[in-house]
Amino acid sequence: MAEPGAKVSRSDEAAARPARVRTPARRLWSDSVHALRVWRVWMFLGVQDIKARFRRSAIGPLWILFNMSLFVIGAGLLYGVLINQPMRVLLPYLVTGFTLWAFIVTSLTESAWAFVNAEGYIKQFCYPKQIYLLRTLVANTIILLISLTAVVPVQLYFRSFSLIGWLLAIPGLLLLFLAVLGHITVCAYLGVCFRDLPHAANGALQVAFFVTPVMFPARMLLERHLAWIYELNPFYYLLEIARRPILEGRPADPQIYAFAGIYVLLVWLLAWQVARSLDSRVVILL
Amino acid sequence: MSQIYLRLRGVGMTFEGQIGAPDGLKSWLPRVFRRNTASPGRYHVEALKNISLDIGHGERVGLIGLNGAGKSTLLKVLAGIYPPTSGTVERRGHVCPMFEFATGFEMNQSGWDNIRIRALLLGMPRAEIEAKIEEIGAFTELGEFLSYPVRTYSSGMFIRLAFAVSTSINPEILLLDEVMGAGDIQFAEKARKRMSEFMEQGKILVFSSHNMEQLSTLCERTIWLEKGQIAADGPTREIMALYHSANGAAVLA
Repeated sequence: MAEPGAKVSRSDEAAARPARVRTPARRLWSDSVHALRVWRVWMFLGVQDIKARFRRSAIGPLWILFNMSLFVIGAGLLYGVLINQPMRVLLPYLVTGFTLWAFIVTSLTESAWAFVNAEGYIKQFCYPKQIYLLRTLVANTIILLISLTAVVPVQLYFRSFSLIGWLLAIPGLLLLFLAVLGHITVCAYLGVCFRDLPHAANGALQVAFFVTPVMFPARMLLERHLAWIYELNPFYYLLEIARRPILEGRPADPQIYAFAGIYVLLVWLLAWQVARSLDSRVVILL
Repeated sequence: MSQIYLRLRGVGMTFEGQIGAPDGLKSWLPRVFRRNTASPGRYHVEALKNISLDIGHGERVGLIGLNGAGKSTLLKVLAGIYPPTSGTVERRGHVCPMFEFATGFEMNQSGWDNIRIRALLLGMPRAEIEAKIEEIGAFTELGEFLSYPVRTYSSGMFIRLAFAVSTSINPEILLLDEVMGAGDIQFAEKARKRMSEFMEQGKILVFSSHNMEQLSTLCERTIWLEKGQIAADGPTREIMALYHSANGAAVLA
């Protein structure tokens, strides 16, 4: 029993008792707990993924910032004229919103490959496969944090930077990470059986992009009595819990956190159901 | 250190699916409308049937059987990679599987980084990895190639790298699937030596092999699998004799 963390076998408490049937749910639970405990492994894998992505590129992760600033200049100038918004409000709004949006989109599309890409590992090493979900979360989070730093110079330029706001964004970001981990779980499991999924999700999210207040303020919909378009949109709440504090220096409205929280619960419920029914088949379907 | 063991009770492993069409939207859509699971395209393979066995501390067990008898499946069930479709598996001890040397690499990362990743996934703590990495690198004899991305490697180089990492850990339960021959002649000799040292350390060793000489020198116990069931289990010499007479007869018949 006194073995170090990573070495604890999965049947410690069952060792002395007669054979016990391990239901898929119980196995999934103990695997997930085990996966969380070996955080060193998936942290390393996630960081390694990012390092590999920018290896041999001259400016490395700066590309993320560079691309973001191109986007901001282009979109900012165009939309500033189109929807007649002052730059000092619009630019930080665009950068923050678009960065967070990209984080959500990745969790619903690319993460479908989380298990597929780890096939070689899953089939020969005995760590629970949930570590490959967490690895995906780590890699995506690093990208998000790098791109979010692009907001700071913009805010400094317009003198709207607020450290308190950034600190107040932390609870929202944590909630967003939970939602995204739920997305990754659902997509990774389904992605193993349905290889069409990431393509379909991509299409659906392109539509969602146009009806979610990312490139335009929610107020514009409200003024046109179309508030239901964002009120019924869970992505709106996920964006707002992090975006509002960063931009306005105060927490978002309580009901926004509440709706985001409900969404996280629903996603996790779905993730649990999907994982429970597919967990034992993943290795065979790969 | 607590007692290390493997215990299987009534373990069955069944693979089901659709022949030809992979599981997915393409085969799932029609299935939703026609709930007919016994269509001719479906397969149902019982790779393991009702396997019960105990392997205790200090045992070295060989697995023999024809191709497709279930040796690899049994090893993957023992490792916890395949969840059995029936029965229970209990294991106490840290499992080190050595199943494949040709997959599970990050193609765009260097040899050194791949050593780190493999060692980590085999359960080696970070500090130990950094302490051993020089020795592992030296054993591969890959020299400066270790700094190159592994996508530039030949298949023999992959094997060297994977072999060096796998044999550098301290195994409690060691599971091997016909992975004896590794690399070119010169490396194979070196590998054989390291392998036998490595297998000495394992507190439990289970390995499948077609090399009867190796089996009789290494294991006192042998399990003969046939069509997913244990045909015989006992001292290596007896099982070997049975196996040879049965398969000899099969060839003649």
